[in-house]
Amino acid sequence: MSTLSPSQAADAVIAPTGAQRRTSRGLRERGKWWRFVVMLIITAVVLVPLLAVVVLSLQPSLGSTSTGPFTFENFIEVFGQTSVLTWLKNSLLVTVVTVVIAVVVAAPAGYVLSRSRSKLVSGYSLILFVVQSLPVVTAIIPLFILFATVGLVDNLVGVTIIYVAATMSVAIWMMAAYYDSIPVALEEAAWVDGASLFGSFTRIVLRNSLPGILSTAIFSFLLAWNDYLIAVVFLRSNPNYTLPVGLESFFQQNATNWGLVMAVAVVMMLPPVILFAFLNKYFSVGGIGGSLAGR
Amino acid sequence: MFALPSLILLLLLNLYPVIYAFIQSMHNGTLLSTGPFVGWGNYVKILHEASFWRAARFTVIFTVSGVFGSWIVGLALALLLRTHIPANGLWKVLLLLPWVVPVVVSATSWNWLVATPQSPLPILAEHLGLGNVLFLANPVLAQITVCVFKVWISFPFMMMMMSAALASVDTNVYEAAKVDGASKWQTFRMITLPMIARPTFVSWILMTIFCVNDFPTIFLLTGGGPVNSTQSLVLLAYLTVFENFQTGPGVAIAFLMTLVLVVVSVVLFRQIRKVSIE
Repeated sequence: MSTLSPSQAADAVIAPTGAQRRTSRGLRERGKWWRFVVMLIITAVVLVPLLAVVVLSLQPSLGSTSTGPFTFENFIEVFGQTSVLTWLKNSLLVTVVTVVIAVVVAAPAGYVLSRSRSKLVSGYSLILFVVQSLPVVTAIIPLFILFATVGLVDNLVGVTIIYVAATMSVAIWMMAAYYDSIPVALEEAAWVDGASLFGSFTRIVLRNSLPGILSTAIFSFLLAWNDYLIAVVFLRSNPNYTLPVGLESFFQQNATNWGLVMAVAVVMMLPPVILFAFLNKYFSVGGIGGSLAGR
Repeated sequence: MFALPSLILLLLLNLYPVIYAFIQSMHNGTLLSTGPFVGWGNYVKILHEASFWRAARFTVIFTVSGVFGSWIVGLALALLLRTHIPANGLWKVLLLLPWVVPVVVSATSWNWLVATPQSPLPILAEHLGLGNVLFLANPVLAQITVCVFKVWISFPFMMMMMSAALASVDTNVYEAAKVDGASKWQTFRMITLPMIARPTFVSWILMTIFCVNDFPTIFLLTGGGPVNSTQSLVLLAYLTVFENFQTGPGVAIAFLMTLVLVVVSVVLFRQIRKVSIE
């Protein structure tokens, strides 16, 4: 998103000419700060629920001996008394494995989608779309039966497999959309120099696709990390919970002790927020729609 | 060769379950056995049930308000962010947070905000002289709250889609409109909206799919209550299967829902094609 600067483009058009300039610039300055205030208020209101999570997690709970305005004792208690650490470990494991497999499988598949223009491939693209729009609930039941027979229910491997499958079609699209922006001429030059199809793909295309790979990775990360439905159906026992199910069950049991509940919520919220803070320019929801619109 | 691993995964984990689920919808089974064949019986049965139509009605309310609510908020913010505002990039990042943060976390927080009489919003309502407002105990209020929650989660998606769309509009057109003396509203209505029609339709289709298939947003905030007023079709399907253990009818609900979804998507896609030709 950072490459787009609509404000500058729009500004060039609005920019007044000649004698008008001085007065309207003053007006524009004032308008600018008005919009700043409006934006500040909007953002503050929008972020109230998220700020509340952080503030409540730092509040001393009932019967606390702490006197300061805020304290970390909720976090100490949550990590000491509950299985949060196990849930965190499970979530990280499931998410990281999902991201790695999704990228490794989607990278070559997206290449096919991007470079080949045969009927078969566009049919494949259509299947991806249809599959993507089916509700997860429909797929869960047969998968539950299938997984029950092979012992993958209440098993982290089971949910990981489903996450990989769930990310697959969008991941392939996102990779394909990125490859579309890399000129074929580069690969053709490599072929002339004697590179194989696979060689040109790994050495030229993949090497230039880091932003596309990162976007795909972030998408898979968020899907696996944030999922609730698949986890709640497939993970049945506390030591196997991932954070979403863990947080929800913890919330059901400690509904009035908001400090502890929000401490768990902060643990769950931090990884995606940190990731987003550093990599937000690779975060493209627009990319999904864009690739869909083009095909 | 390159597509083979993805093809295998897709066939095994996406296509197989769908086919198997369709077979299930024709049987009166449980989670662990297929049960006797009943043909279209399950479909006929659910179409005669009031709970199905009530869920269908709420799904429509939820989807329409989710799609257009988030689109209007997202487009307004995208337009605002196009103008000169100090710290422009920062706002964009901060406003995307509701989309990034896990639903479980935001649902927990919204529960704290509205659910109990001790929550901040009910207290605020009482101070404003609105009396004792129970956001999640009154059926209509609960429906509104869930829809607002959905808009809060989804507007960042629309904001990004619309920002990208607005950025691709040729700015010369605006200059021409200015020369011709068009007002700001006219420019928006006659130029901006038609120019972003295609991405708008795409975002509507995607958001429709997201809303109809959305389970956690509703389930985590209200669980479908009070008195089933916020039960969408996905929730109904889930509860039918995993709480009443009637897989046949449950899957049949999901399939009917998907059928409608596909029809709506195709109609909207036609619109896109029309727009592209013009």
